[in-house]
Amino acid sequence: METKIDFTLNGQQVSVTTDPLRRLLDVIREDFGLTGTKEGCGEGECGACSVLKDGKIITTCMVPIGAVGGSDIVTIDGLKETEQGKTIIEAFADGGAVQCGFCIPGMVMAAEDLLRSNPHPSEDEIRKGISGNICRCTGYDLIVESIALASERGDGLW
Amino acid sequence: MVSTYIPKTLEEALIIRKETGARPLSGGTDLMVQYRRGIGVTPKFPWPIMIVSNLKELIGINETPDGSLCIGSATTSSEIAASPLVPWHVREASSRMGAISLRNLATIGGNIGNASPKGDLPATLILLDASVVLASVEGERTVLLDDFIYGAKKTLLQDDEIITKIIIPKPARPFTYRWYRKIGTRRANAITKLSLSAAITIDEKGVITDFRASSGAAGPKIARNKALEATLIGKNVEDIPSLLPSFLADYDKIISPHAMPEYRRTSTKRMLEYFLTEVSKRPSGEIIE
Repeated sequence: METKIDFTLNGQQVSVTTDPLRRLLDVIREDFGLTGTKEGCGEGECGACSVLKDGKIITTCMVPIGAVGGSDIVTIDGLKETEQGKTIIEAFADGGAVQCGFCIPGMVMAAEDLLRSNPHPSEDEIRKGISGNICRCTGYDLIVESIALASERGDGLW
Repeated sequence: MVSTYIPKTLEEALIIRKETGARPLSGGTDLMVQYRRGIGVTPKFPWPIMIVSNLKELIGINETPDGSLCIGSATTSSEIAASPLVPWHVREASSRMGAISLRNLATIGGNIGNASPKGDLPATLILLDASVVLASVEGERTVLLDDFIYGAKKTLLQDDEIITKIIIPKPARPFTYRWYRKIGTRRANAITKLSLSAAITIDEKGVITDFRASSGAAGPKIARNKALEATLIGKNVEDIPSLLPSFLADYDKIISPHAMPEYRRTSTKRMLEYFLTEVSKRPSGEIIE
């Protein structure tokens, strides 16, 4: 039973006609080719598939596309075109936050979500802000430092 | 592919529920994971589904004229954790569920309907004598949450009903001291291994007028025993240390852990002992850390 679902994706009005139980993650990757959003655990634990839905961070592996009608979705492929996204990504590169890179799209989304509500977070607040994102390479310290660097460089952006 | 419905109003949802038996899916944080089939594959459910997360009638937090709090079943943990109207125990439990991205999806109605003994919100809601409002095309009924969840994954929900609201009554007097502890493997994204919620009210003379404790993940359902709680009511708070040994021995009988029983029994009693011992010293803060 396919259903037509309209929503906003990275600022564009889009429409898909599909099984409403398909995961938002799969629609983003397969139907729109936005493969920056990654599938890690598939059960909401790792944060690799994070996007912003109506301005709030969510894990797309747990959301059926049928729940997305009328929503505003921003993925890493949309965020990277914005000043805020560029600032975070450059800080991650300069700060050495990236090793294998698989968790990074989710980490950048979590950083954006955090900085929107708290533009100058403390180290503890940064660690809480990325507590839903798992990285198996870095040990987190350089990611935390890079988010602090993004906050400093992007002063006034959020 | 099973039938999937996306009702636009509660009225429509109740008709679909009656006619097809479709089960409500809200945040998806339990169901989408429970019925997942692997990387890049759409979950498959054994029954029809209706997506209720966007039903406005089910979202929101407000006070009723009698001072009770009414929370819509599709209200998320994030919204609950951020609302100053919500009692402290429920805010605490909400703010410690999963991580931010999960709390932005997970709903109170889903946490109740899933009826896991590890569910974080039912443990605190049962402490506060909360009820659930169940709606069907025939009308509404209200059931005490402690009765509604009668076993692990077992509720009194009928095939034509939907959980629409959660009602939390206001205690007769504000609690003097409150306690909530969740034990999990890590600070974020941890499923509860054990939890204890407790509250006590003490009058000017030091007499206990209200005492409650509810124990999560220590048996097939959240454990709360009003008869046992009542044994402390009317006693002076200073007498707690002498009453504790027999109280804890009796509390041991109301919990029935399915796994690691030794650990769960010992830790539950130690949390209770700590809370009650601390309050007998009459500390200045309301929250026992």
